[in-house]
Amino acid sequence: MNAPNPESLKLVKDYSRPAIAFAVARVPGTDRVFLGSSDFKVSEADLSAAKFEPKGLYGHASYVTTLALSGSTLVSGGYDGKLVWWDTTMNKEIRTEAAHAKWIRQVVASPDGSRFASVADDMVCKVWDATTGKLVRELRGHGEKTPQNFPSMLYAVAYSADGKYLATADKTAKVIVWDAKAGEQLKKVEAPTMYTWDQVQRLHSIGGARSLAFSPDGQHLAVGGTGKIGNIDHLEAKARVEVFDWQAEKQVAEFVADKSQGLVNKLLYAPDGSWLLGVGGASEGFVAFFDVKSKKVLKQEKVGMHVHDLSIGPKFDSLLLAGHNKLTAYKLG
Amino acid sequence: MFHKRCTPGEHAVGRRAFLGASTAFAATAFADMTGLNVLGSSALAADLKKTQKRVILLWLAGGCSQLETWDPKPGASTGGPFRAIPTDVTGVHISELMPQMAQRMKHVCVMRGLDTKNGDHGSAAKLMMRGRRDEAGLKYPDLGAVVAREMGRADSKVPDYVTFYTQTEGRSFAPGDSGFLGARYAPMELTTNNIPEYIRKLDGISDLDHKQRGELRDLLGKQFTKGRQSETMGSHNEAYERVRGIMASESLFDISKEPQKVRDRYGPTQFGQQALIARRLVEAGVPFVRVARAWWDSHGQNFETHQEMVPELDHVMAALIDDLKDRGLLNDVMIVTLSEFGRTPGINSSLGRDHFASAWSSTITGCGIKGGSVYGKTDDKGNKVVAEQVDGGSLFATIYAALGINPEKNYYVGSRPIPLVNPGVQAVEEVLL
Repeated sequence: MNAPNPESLKLVKDYSRPAIAFAVARVPGTDRVFLGSSDFKVSEADLSAAKFEPKGLYGHASYVTTLALSGSTLVSGGYDGKLVWWDTTMNKEIRTEAAHAKWIRQVVASPDGSRFASVADDMVCKVWDATTGKLVRELRGHGEKTPQNFPSMLYAVAYSADGKYLATADKTAKVIVWDAKAGEQLKKVEAPTMYTWDQVQRLHSIGGARSLAFSPDGQHLAVGGTGKIGNIDHLEAKARVEVFDWQAEKQVAEFVADKSQGLVNKLLYAPDGSWLLGVGGASEGFVAFFDVKSKKVLKQEKVGMHVHDLSIGPKFDSLLLAGHNKLTAYKLG
Repeated sequence: MFHKRCTPGEHAVGRRAFLGASTAFAATAFADMTGLNVLGSSALAADLKKTQKRVILLWLAGGCSQLETWDPKPGASTGGPFRAIPTDVTGVHISELMPQMAQRMKHVCVMRGLDTKNGDHGSAAKLMMRGRRDEAGLKYPDLGAVVAREMGRADSKVPDYVTFYTQTEGRSFAPGDSGFLGARYAPMELTTNNIPEYIRKLDGISDLDHKQRGELRDLLGKQFTKGRQSETMGSHNEAYERVRGIMASESLFDISKEPQKVRDRYGPTQFGQQALIARRLVEAGVPFVRVARAWWDSHGQNFETHQEMVPELDHVMAALIDDLKDRGLLNDVMIVTLSEFGRTPGINSSLGRDHFASAWSSTITGCGIKGGSVYGKTDDKGNKVVAEQVDGGSLFATIYAALGINPEKNYYVGSRPIPLVNPGVQAVEEVLL
């Protein structure tokens, strides 16, 4: 599939709502979307309806921070440590798993739809059978504490396009690549600029590696976060992406989005691998495209909300962003 | 109305001595600004030696969130992601980030109704260290200086007021300050090391040399004062004695003197280590120690900041309570947690909370305070105080009263009487023993 030109990005519509949307999943080719939000609910909405009115489907006991849709199965994860399987055809719960001991940060579906992988602040990546919900394996390798002896956090997980590899990323910006089938740790890369520990002024930390994406050919791994922060009261550094030849454990590119401040919360490669899309923010948000070949920032667009998640259409012609009290729809191509 | 608040039945003689001495003090206050001569009364001094009240202030600089600690609002749109957990006090819930404190709330009084009306770091920090705003031309002493003055002993060999503030952010906003009480009650400030610098004898001077120099100074002093009545000379001698005591107190700051088990209890963090030193200091008779833990100013990523910092507070505070309890000190040592303000119920787009002084929380534990009590109520979203509102003055009056210090007591600047708290400000009787 050819990649659309990032310059074609065009705002279609804003959808306001009185909650922070941390996660969005769109049924491919439709206007049906699922949202995970700060109201502790997973909601469903129809973007084509005259009035945008998300309807609550079910609840978690805390923020719903991640959604993964595979076929008709939606899996939601929250800061309550639970994963909920939901049948989107019948609109009913399939199962709930007390999956993690701490906050669940992300759940993703394997490319073939047979597995879900979740990461949480218990620093474990768990792989689940998508159909039975059975725990297939646990991937342990991230430290529970930061070097300064404070609790670490495991923010991101991504599958390679062929499903052979899994990558996980933590607060100290350590990234581990795993053999998805065998559960073995294969390689490790680090992006230490993304983690700021302030020993002198404030004695706490901010940042971390927040997002991951394998290139379509699986050779490269992109890691998103932010730069070193001077005043860690705020997310005041520029958005940052580092790309690694993960087999060689070597950084091959680094992007600093000079007009985009804050965290890169989600990353996505173009279908042909020509560009990378990063979304995120600080007090306001951004969409940024990075040219893989020239290693330059292609396009940056401000978004009127801190962006937490994205959903891209199957033809890469539509982009839906979810964030602080809002959804925003764009066209591409 | 002043009520002395200590454990019932405790030091009845002390009360009489205190009242008698206080009456005498009131009559001669103009002549004796420091009041420390009162403590020279042998009955009272001996009594205070046994029952002297001391304070450890855990200063949560930058503004700790009440919603992520003492006043959670789970499920409210302002509540954030954390759950509330039950405690050992029926009906009292605190943030899930504080599981250790949840088992120790029977010792703690939570003041949930603070409305201090100042959301500026600098002036709010001064306000919450002094309990009131300075007047033009009159700088009030902070809590530490007042406690040092009231609880310090003339014969003490240890400092009266020690403050740790190692991080640089916010340190200049609220340095320990004795205000009009003067340098005698100014704190020993530790900002770079946990052990005070510059109190060691110079390497070039031998112990014998040091001792002989002191003896020579004493001899010359005695000859000078022969036939003279000099308060200045007395003060001079006292200062030298105190310096000698403080030089000898260096080991109090050395936690390697503690068994490993005790050090493990407090944990490896700087905050934990300084809290352990604070315990060593109060145990040795230091009336007031502030341990500042900066910096809580979570405009961005409030929940992750508190996820990182609150468990440390939970652990350190619980360790301190257990340790003081085990040593039989919890009735005589008060632990206060205080910030310059709290944080907004509203969550900003950086998942942060901003400055908020209209409805926030503090805690008082130990000496003279009703453990397991909660005073103050905020609305469902934490936006305002709906019952039992308290300002900085009332909070300080409550602390003073619990320590057995009359909040209405006057100091004198020249001939002007200055009460410890502003006229009309009352202690919260409901939380006093």
